[in-house]
Amino acid sequence: MASFVEETVPETETVAYMKLALEQAKLALDSLEVPVGCVIIEDQRVISSGRNRTTETRNATRHAEMEAIDVLLEQWKKDGLPREEVALKFSKCTLYVTCEPCIMCAAALSIIGIKEVYYGCANDKFGGCGSILSLHTNSSGKLMMSGGISRKEEFKCTGGIMASEAINLLRSFYEQGNPNAPKPHRTPMPRA
Amino acid sequence: MPEDVLELVNTYQLSTFTTKVCQYAASTKEEWEEQCKLWPTSFHPPTYNIDGITGFSEDDSLSVFNFMKLAVRMAKSGGSVVNAAVIVDPSTRQVIASSHDEILSCGSQRNSTCREPCFSKQPQATNEYDSSKIEKDPMLLMKCPPNEAKQSYKDVACLHPWGWLEQPSHLSSDSWHPLRHAAIVAIENSAARDRCLFPVNAQDSEFAQEAHNMSSPTGSPLKRQKVKDDERMDCQKNGLRCDSSRPYLCTGYDIYFVWEPCIMCAMAVVHQRIRRVFYAFPNPNDGALGSVHRLQGERSLNHHYAVFRVLLPEDILKSEALEKPFQD
Repeated sequence: MASFVEETVPETETVAYMKLALEQAKLALDSLEVPVGCVIIEDQRVISSGRNRTTETRNATRHAEMEAIDVLLEQWKKDGLPREEVALKFSKCTLYVTCEPCIMCAAALSIIGIKEVYYGCANDKFGGCGSILSLHTNSSGKLMMSGGISRKEEFKCTGGIMASEAINLLRSFYEQGNPNAPKPHRTPMPRA
Repeated sequence: MPEDVLELVNTYQLSTFTTKVCQYAASTKEEWEEQCKLWPTSFHPPTYNIDGITGFSEDDSLSVFNFMKLAVRMAKSGGSVVNAAVIVDPSTRQVIASSHDEILSCGSQRNSTCREPCFSKQPQATNEYDSSKIEKDPMLLMKCPPNEAKQSYKDVACLHPWGWLEQPSHLSSDSWHPLRHAAIVAIENSAARDRCLFPVNAQDSEFAQEAHNMSSPTGSPLKRQKVKDDERMDCQKNGLRCDSSRPYLCTGYDIYFVWEPCIMCAMAVVHQRIRRVFYAFPNPNDGALGSVHRLQGERSLNHHYAVFRVLLPEDILKSEALEKPFQD
């Protein structure tokens, strides 16, 4: 239903970027990972992408956001950018992620000083951008002078972008059964 | 029947029936399995079963102190004091993985853990610290004169998560990472250990290397998918062989911190399913286990660990104090 509406309405930039994030989430689903994906945008250009890799790595912290951040850090360090410039670049980046960042990822995004986050569905078990904690509006909102540039610990955050698509992906994952979950996991019930 | 339920029933062509379901949450795994047949729920093992809630035996507290001592030693990293994390299997009293902060200097383990034969096949000998050796290492003691320990601990990542820009850049420009707090790196090391000790199949190390080589988003997803499919088939063929002998993530393990972890690290430890967290010093800036947040009390989380504070005198960060065994 939702997708029908979107196809008749001119596609906004936000929706276009979120579709790219959803593509990443689908890649995760194809690899039997919890389907969450993201892209990072700088100056209307996709400069990084990531998807959940927790099953493959057996490291439950390898969420899409952490993957995408690491791609950028690696690239920028290879380019020889000093820390101050890396911080400046992060402060101009926008993240599009299919599911609300968890508490860990929301804290990480605040630490690197990202400018803005758009997410799909809310994360009512782990969400760090409003559902459980609100780390995007962290502290006093004070400006910090660090390395000669001013940075904020907070970032702007907007949810509900193509949420039903994000939820559908998660639903298809949990219906096929999470191979990584502790036993017994939920087994699909045969339909009567 | 409510309108929205009726809609679901029609959409999925369900047939309805009346039955009884459990009123109370399952208290054991067996009860939970039974409950899940009709109504899938989450299982939260009761925390009062966690060892230590009702006190420690003398033997156990000695073990706790010794692992904390190891964490404190690791926190003294090349002249400055940082945070350290040690992951321990309490059933065997074996160190599973450990690290200190790598905000300023990334270790070389990152992408090479699986390529090098650093993890042997015998779990007993793996990555285990010879604490007596470390204690007697004179180099370690010289690196940290006592007067340096009295500073404000500005290099402790969890105390200053936003401080990564302010650190003096006396190190080479490529050896820093704002998110490589001790816990994040220790979890990474434990995952690498798990992949090496319990490969899904014989090609696993090859697969791991492949995955590292193709970690750039431009890498061929097709090839990776193929390897992944082989792996999946192999896992199905062998049933749950790989699951029965190893814990799921860090289930049942303890983690020792010198400083109370920040919210990022505390949540990472939830994700990795650690059972007990021990820390020595509170973190008034961003401590997530009581100081600023209290993550262990968030009911919505799918996993809960027990948190213990190990009382240590602050001058333990002076090297001489480390030489004395803890007795009380």
